[in-house]
Amino acid sequence: MKELIKIVGEENFTDALEELVPYSYDASVNVQRPNSVVWPESTEQVSQIVAFANEQKIPVVPRGSGTSLSGGVIAINGGIIIDLSRMNRILEISIEDRYALVQAGVVCDDLNGKLAKYGFTFPPDPASSSVATIGGNVGTNAGGIKGAKYGTTRDYVMGLQVVLPTGEVMNTGSRTMKCVSGYDLAKLFVGSEGTLGVVTEVTLKVNPIPRYAMTAVATYDKLEDAGNAISQTMTSGLTPSVMEILDRITLKSIKENTDIDLPDAEIMILAETDGYTREEVQAQMDVVLRILRENNPSLIKTAQDEKERLELWNARKSAYATLARISTSFVLDDVTVPVSRIPELLVGIQEIAQRHGLVVATYGHAGDGNLHPQILYDEYNAEQVEKMERVESDLFRLAISLKGTLTGEHGIGLSKADYMTLEHDVVEMDLMQRIKKTLDPNNIMNPGKMSL
Amino acid sequence: MTEGLQFYEKWREAIIQCSRCGFCRAVCPIFDVSKRDLANARGKMILLKEAMEGKLSVTDGVAQALMRCTTCMNCTVNCPSGAEPDKVIKAARKEMVTIGYDNLFKAMSEGVEKYGNIYGEEQRHEWGHKKGKAPYVLFAGCVGAYREEESVAETIRLLDLLGVDFTTIDEVCCSGVLEDVGYKVKEALAQHNVREIRKTGANAMIITCPYCYRVFIEHPSYKDLGLEVKHITQFLAEVPLQVKTDKRVTYHDPCDLGRHSGIYEEPREIIRKIAPTFVEPERTRENAMCCGSGGGFRGTFPRDSLKIARNRLDRIIEETGAEILLTECPSCLHNFRNAKLRRQKIEIYNITEFIAQLYEEGASQEKQAAEG
Amino acid sequence: MEIEGYEFPEGLFYEENHFWARVEGDLVVMGMNDYAQKMAGDIVYVGLPPEGKKLTQGKSFTKLESGKWLGKIFAVVSGELVEVNEELEENTQLINEDPYGKGWMFKIKPDTMDELKNLMTDAGEIHEWLKKEIAEHGGK
Repeated sequence: MKELIKIVGEENFTDALEELVPYSYDASVNVQRPNSVVWPESTEQVSQIVAFANEQKIPVVPRGSGTSLSGGVIAINGGIIIDLSRMNRILEISIEDRYALVQAGVVCDDLNGKLAKYGFTFPPDPASSSVATIGGNVGTNAGGIKGAKYGTTRDYVMGLQVVLPTGEVMNTGSRTMKCVSGYDLAKLFVGSEGTLGVVTEVTLKVNPIPRYAMTAVATYDKLEDAGNAISQTMTSGLTPSVMEILDRITLKSIKENTDIDLPDAEIMILAETDGYTREEVQAQMDVVLRILRENNPSLIKTAQDEKERLELWNARKSAYATLARISTSFVLDDVTVPVSRIPELLVGIQEIAQRHGLVVATYGHAGDGNLHPQILYDEYNAEQVEKMERVESDLFRLAISLKGTLTGEHGIGLSKADYMTLEHDVVEMDLMQRIKKTLDPNNIMNPGKMSL
Repeated sequence: MTEGLQFYEKWREAIIQCSRCGFCRAVCPIFDVSKRDLANARGKMILLKEAMEGKLSVTDGVAQALMRCTTCMNCTVNCPSGAEPDKVIKAARKEMVTIGYDNLFKAMSEGVEKYGNIYGEEQRHEWGHKKGKAPYVLFAGCVGAYREEESVAETIRLLDLLGVDFTTIDEVCCSGVLEDVGYKVKEALAQHNVREIRKTGANAMIITCPYCYRVFIEHPSYKDLGLEVKHITQFLAEVPLQVKTDKRVTYHDPCDLGRHSGIYEEPREIIRKIAPTFVEPERTRENAMCCGSGGGFRGTFPRDSLKIARNRLDRIIEETGAEILLTECPSCLHNFRNAKLRRQKIEIYNITEFIAQLYEEGASQEKQAAEG
Repeated sequence: MEIEGYEFPEGLFYEENHFWARVEGDLVVMGMNDYAQKMAGDIVYVGLPPEGKKLTQGKSFTKLESGKWLGKIFAVVSGELVEVNEELEENTQLINEDPYGKGWMFKIKPDTMDELKNLMTDAGEIHEWLKKEIAEHGGK
């Protein structure tokens, strides 16, 4: 691969086996060895790499921090992994024009750390924000805990710089808060999981950080009661900034594996209201508390100070990880349904788990219908692997039957590619395939993903 | 693969504990400068997982990849999945050596044995302090003796100033670093140190180097010392100090003192006594970023080691605006001093060194006042 | 000229601690010779003292380091340190790559140019000296 070395330099190219091994993995269970990895330091280099790959018909896979939960950055057809981590400069922050221009390899929390100094933030807050890159957030339309009130990455992408599969560099979008000039090409790339081009720069709209926030927790013995509390809150006329749930298995796992003190319950709701004045935030919280109270909670509590608030947050954010402690392996899904169908989804998940004899813990963003069933199993046990696959299949079918979607924020990647036709009819699949073929005639750009 | 089968059996649970979430990327000092997946804990755990599953044959390249780690333990402390990459990596290093791979530290292991220090040098620095019997014995360690002699000299001067009755000894390398790079403490050296220490009849040993401190406390070869072992900050925290500075002071937690030994409060107690303007860096205590010199890293990958130190220093300056950076570890001190650029006005000292200088400034001011 | 496989350009003065000196106007420039650079390996740090420091011929006034080795730097003449090669702060590899050119280290205002007489210039003398150094410390 002398051509690649010419483009990025010897230090930024490797095909050494030990270096390729970690790049064969992400945070999902998919594995495949790439042929080489490059670390470009400029859009120009990315463009040359892609042009070369296109000419030679070698697959390329754009990658940020490799925290994909669906195999989005696995080089399933081999090829070159383009690791954008060295392109990590924040190019411009303009508070007057309310945007930040960053290279794709900027880490989400690093951007928010800089923005915080101005009192601003990029609201999507995925659990992996300490390591996930903006490029990756764009690729999966990352959501996070504040989704119900503040939306997802797509709502904040004003413009992109993308290297197309031919190697051409496209700058699209605008620096204006509104723009309808030409097709919205930037938004096409958001959520395209690196299959249509390599995003190299992103212009993001930024929001002021709400001055005040209040957090409350409530636990319930009946799923329907919690479900009703959630529905009623979301239709009450206000939008809480956070509406999370944790199920019994998750609560138990957190309690047994950390110092965080949580009650035993069938389900716990974690709610937050935020705003510009303390009175407004309190007024909203009063409404939320009333609704929580009216639905037979076994416990209600508000965080009295910042320390307590952060403790509750810690509890929620440590769910993923503590479950990892109690199981050899796991698969984390993100099926999403309309908010009113959450209780059915919760019950359905447990029913599927019991039917197949595996443990599935569920937590997630009830406020926007996006739940995270975490299927616990042992990847070294062939029987359990099969059960896991059946559980997943049933989960996807359940979500679709509830008028939901396979994935709210993790992406299809490899893990869900086989189920695309459950959700998308022939008209849609055909159009998606045509778009893919138009932009990527040689099918080099992250091939084998999304069933396209 | 049949090699190392016992290793994999013993460490299997630990290796598969890693859920590949990648959160260690945010706290790994090597990853911070290289941005290559193999650099951080996740990459190494995956390497070992594949080796364990028989998918990867161990080579010199694999063995050496495991050496790209300062053993700072930031990954373990911040791992949501409860994996302990630092333990696994150190154990894997030993395994690689046992099987016969060259992990770049063979020469150091032989050098320590032959010369009694980690640098393979012949003349160990002597500070000319008394050597004999005293209630306290001071142990400085190799980095202090061969790279930061002047700083240790100041520490010694401070102890004298404070009227501490202590003796030094004919030290040899505690050889603890070998345990972290795939080898073992050299028994002959340990016995020499134990003998010399016991000869002093001291009740307590004061150690300036956190790495040596850790070895003396933890390693079985040093269990029969027969006296109390303290890091110098533990000792000094209980001593009243008569000096102050109004300069803006910050503190860097050495990995071996903080994360590895749990000593966070005592250095801060000392600093607060002398500097009311003490500010913490953003990443501090158990989240402090490593200076890049531990685990043999400075010797094998010196350029990267200094890049890491420069990074940490730049961030500390940006976050705290401090005029003085304090630490209490000869390795951190050395790496920061080497990494500091001329245009950076911050001054870097060990706490004890700084206090000694404050006393000297105070004394000369008094002298001037008396003469004036 | 090449001596025992190492570069020792003519027209320079050579000092027995392995440093070279060159006259530049009324200043003396110094650096490390090719043999020492190769023996040291990849040099990663050079101590750059503040300008104005007083130096004495044959006395060490700062240090440099490669991975495991620390070496003292000796003044080639007595005088005042007037300039340091600031490039070396972040590009120490210049010493290994170009020890007599871009890898120069310090410029000294000498008390007197006479002290240069104490250094070696004769090819034969340098050759004998280098052979002894190689025998004692290794190198070829």
